[in-house]
This record gives sequence, structure tokens and C-alpha cells, in this order.
Amino acid sequence: MFALPIENYQLKGLGERRGMEAGAVRSGELKAARRLAPAELLRGVVRREVGRGMLEMRGIEKRFNSSRVAVLTGISLEVKRGEFVVVVGPSGCGKTTLLNLAGGMVKPDGGEVMLDGKAVEGPGPERAMVFQDHGLFPWLTAASNIEFGLRMLGMRRRERRDRVEAALRMVHLGNFGEKLVHELSGGMKQRVAIARAMVMDPAVLLMDEPFAALDAQTRTLLHGQLQELWIQTKKTILFVTHSVGEAVRLADRIIVLSAYPGRIRREIRVELSHPRDFDSPQISELVRLVRTEIEEEVNRVNREMAGDEWKPAASAHLGDGFVDLGGSI
Amino acid sequence: MVLSIWEGAYRVIGWRSWVFPAPSHVVDATLGMLNVRTGFGEGIGAGWPFAKEQSGREEGSWYGSPLIRAQVVSGVRLVFGFSLSIVFGGVLGLLMWRWEGLDKLLGPLFLGLQTLPSVCWVPLAILVFGINETGILFVLVMGSFFAIAIALRDGLKQIPPIYQRAGLMLGAAGWRLYRYVLLPASLPALAGSLRQGFSFAWRSLMGAELIFAVKKQGLGYQLAMGRETADVAQVVAVMIVMVVVGMVVDRWGFAKLQERVQARFGLG
Repeated sequence: MFALPIENYQLKGLGERRGMEAGAVRSGELKAARRLAPAELLRGVVRREVGRGMLEMRGIEKRFNSSRVAVLTGISLEVKRGEFVVVVGPSGCGKTTLLNLAGGMVKPDGGEVMLDGKAVEGPGPERAMVFQDHGLFPWLTAASNIEFGLRMLGMRRRERRDRVEAALRMVHLGNFGEKLVHELSGGMKQRVAIARAMVMDPAVLLMDEPFAALDAQTRTLLHGQLQELWIQTKKTILFVTHSVGEAVRLADRIIVLSAYPGRIRREIRVELSHPRDFDSPQISELVRLVRTEIEEEVNRVNREMAGDEWKPAASAHLGDGFVDLGGSI
Repeated sequence: MVLSIWEGAYRVIGWRSWVFPAPSHVVDATLGMLNVRTGFGEGIGAGWPFAKEQSGREEGSWYGSPLIRAQVVSGVRLVFGFSLSIVFGGVLGLLMWRWEGLDKLLGPLFLGLQTLPSVCWVPLAILVFGINETGILFVLVMGSFFAIAIALRDGLKQIPPIYQRAGLMLGAAGWRLYRYVLLPASLPALAGSLRQGFSFAWRSLMGAELIFAVKKQGLGYQLAMGRETADVAQVVAVMIVMVVVGMVVDRWGFAKLQERVQARFGLG
């Protein structure tokens, strides 16, 4: 198997890290990342989608019992088969609630959530979820974590083992199956979580800020791997993040939410081919566009909350680790 | 060090052994209860530390000795009573975690009852059940199951909700959620509550045995016997045995269990 060089980097200082990001690491390691996950690795884990995986939300209303203000209102969203949709928005706009609605973890107060024409009743493996803090079971090994859902399905041991092995190879952790969760690095945990979701062969993959807690290098590597995985499997993915850079790198379509109450503010189609060169000028242009949208939204909310005294800082960027915008053009 | 000063002071000053024993007397008493006659407490001279000619009591095998017999009787009671405690405490802890109403109702009561020393259940046990095995078990269970229930409830409350969400997402619904997600997730709490429950159970049992004079005589009864016969050395010897047994089971049993669970979970 391929070694995973990025995971082994010793991060010495921020300056050094930036330099690496802009230079050799970015281009070199990304190419390596793209070479990963050849199609045959996926065989035995997931089917390519046929007629499965259309997620619809119609007129969603959601409010939490304590507050009068709706968290989400009038959300209508359709995620087509095999589409990669990323939801971004300022904090507190109900992104995660939206995802939990899709996952069936939360029930809407109005409207309906449908998967392939059937109403979503509760959580289930056809809408597998990857959580921000991985949610792996610490009493199980990596392999047993991946196996868990199959066991719940009542699949036979032999068949389970083959699938788990394939899933581990799919996320490039072939030799880490017997490790306990706390023995894995943050990036590895998140890859196990992705494998655990993918091995269920879900109709939709729901991802709740899955890379938010990782360092920049690991995140970049996983972006590459996730893209590759998605190209290979054509899974429908609904992805939530607060990172604009991440949204633009991954999405077919970006949904910008407004806050208080959460509404769809704008939809932006990203018509760039996959896999993407994350340093291209088009990407930077799009990042600027989406960021402006969100900044306006943040300023609006702050104005409303603080009265007229709030003045936006000149060209304040939302922290994202993507500060050297345009530096590589 | 302390022991040798104690023993030395004893020999030089010449305290009276029926008021307070020297370590050597305690050793004699302990071995005596194991049917081994020794004379460590005698004046050092020819033949020390072997017992001088003994009168009266006949020799027996070590496994038929009073100490071992008492230990077996206490052990059986402990296993039986502690199992009952685990069942009651486990079920109640689980129910209190699941239903907040029950927790609100019973939680303060249990916390209050925990402050009650377990021997205080003895009079009630005697009146309700009489002086018999059931009474002893009652005291043991009452003395330990609150602790188990409370510790288990607190531990369950600390399970991150994400495990439950992840389990549901992966198709573990109904009893499977309990069996495959919540039960293993509560293992650290369970191990902790067992450990705490054991120390409560051991203390309650010793207290109960001390007071209850029933046919089968446990370790606590040996202590009572020591008092009856004004044998201070035996009293101290039995106390030491109680501490040692309690510590060995705790350190080698429950603490090891807890350590293993925590290592598995990557805690501590």
C-alpha cells in the first residue's frame, strides 16, 4: 500500500507550515493523494449508484422549544443522485440541524424530508453520517468499528470480514485494522469513520464538518481522498462546513445559508471538473465570491443584534487557514 | 519499623498482653486460628518460636481451621449478596438514567441513605427477617446497592450522546442499542461502580456478621468471639485479616478490571 507521508510530518512552526503548504507539499502530496484509491479498491464495498440517492427537503421549518425564532425556515432543497452539495453559512445558521434533519436524528416542525420518494422517519444506515468528532466506539478496534453496521444487519462473519478489509484499504488503512481508536491519529479516525459509513453502502452520505478538527495538511489530504472516493462511487453527498475553501474545493453546488432564521440565501453552482486543482485562479475567485456572501450575512446579523454601533472591519476574512488568497496565482 | 519499635517497647517495658497485644501475639493468634500453634509471644529462649506444650485444644488441619472456615462462610455470603446488589443496583441505576422522573424521586433518597452506616440496617433486619442468613444478606444488599445504582447512573450520564447517534445511524435500534452500544459504552462506569460497591458490600457484611450470631460463623463472628473471650490478640488479628482480604480483592480484582477497561478506552 501507499505510505501516507503527510500524517508523519512534524509540524515545527506556523511559518514553516505555510511555506510547505504553498510549495512542495501542496503540489507533490496532492498528486500522491489523487493517485490513491484506484477503482479496484472500492470493489466489494459499494455499488455505483443506480436509481438511488435522491434527497429532497420541502418547506422545512424547525424551531427549538426554548426560542421563538426559527432555526430553519422555508428550506427547500433537492440533492440529486450522485451530486455533491456543500452547505455553508455563518455559525448558528442551523447547518448542522439541517444535516440532522436529513439524517433523521431530528424531526422537522413543518415540511418533509424524503429519500428516493420515501419520507425519512428516523436515523438509519441508508443515510450514513460522518460526525465532526468521529463518534467511533472506543471499545472496538478500527476494523470492528467498520464492521459494526454490518453486524447489526445480521451479515455473516465471512462476508463481513471481506467487506471490512476492502473498506480499510479504500481509506488506506489496510494495516491499521487491529488498532484501537485512541491509537489512531485524528485524520485516521476520520478515515475510519468514513469507511464505517461507506461500508453500509448508503444512498446518501451525510458529512457534518468532518475535517474541521484536523490540521491543514491532513485536511488537504483528506479532501483529495474524499473527492477520489466520490468520483469512484458517485455517492450522493450532503456536506456541511464553515470553511469556504473546503466548500469550493469539493462541491458541485454550494448552498449559502443565512442566519436567524436559517434560510437559503444563495445557491452557487461550481462548474469545474473534478478532481480540482485547489490553487487555480477560478477556485480563488469562487472563494472570494462565497466569502463575500457570508461576510455580508455575518455583518447583517451583527448589525441586527448590536444595533447601529456595529461596524464591520475592513475586508475581514473569516478564519479558514486560507489566508494567502491569490498568493499563488 | 513501627512494628519492631512496638514489639521492642513491649518487651522492654512489659505491657500486659491482655490489655493490648504485641505484634508477636497477633502472629500467634492468626496462626492459631489456622490451627498452627506457635509461641512468638513467649520469652525468647530455648525452642522459640515453637509453641511450648499446649493444653486442651486439639490439633486440626489448616483447611478445617476457624479462620479458613470463617473466610469461606463470609466469601459465600459476599458473592451471593454482592450479586444481588449488582442486579438491584444495576437495574435501578439503569432505570434512573433512563427516566428522569424516577431519578428525581429516588436520587436524593439514595444519596441520603448512602450516608447511613450500613450496620444501622441491622436492627431493622433483625425485626423484619429475624436472626438468620436472610437478615445478613439484607444488610449487605442495603449497604451496597445504593452505591452501585448511583455510580452507574452517573457513569451512564457521562456517555457522550454521539455514541447513541452513531449506533442508531448504523442500525442498532431497540435492545441492540443497549446491548451493543450503551452497555459497552458504560463499561468504565460499570467497573468503577463495581469497585465502589464491593468496598461497601465488604464493610456491610463484616458489620452484619459482627452482630448477627447465626449458625454459620463468618469473619465478623470471629471478631465478636475475640471480644467475648477477651482475647485482644485475636481481635487485632481478625481486623488485620479483614483489611487484607478487602484490599487484595480491591487491588487485584476490581482495580485491575478498571485499569483494563480504561486502557481499552484510552482513558487515563
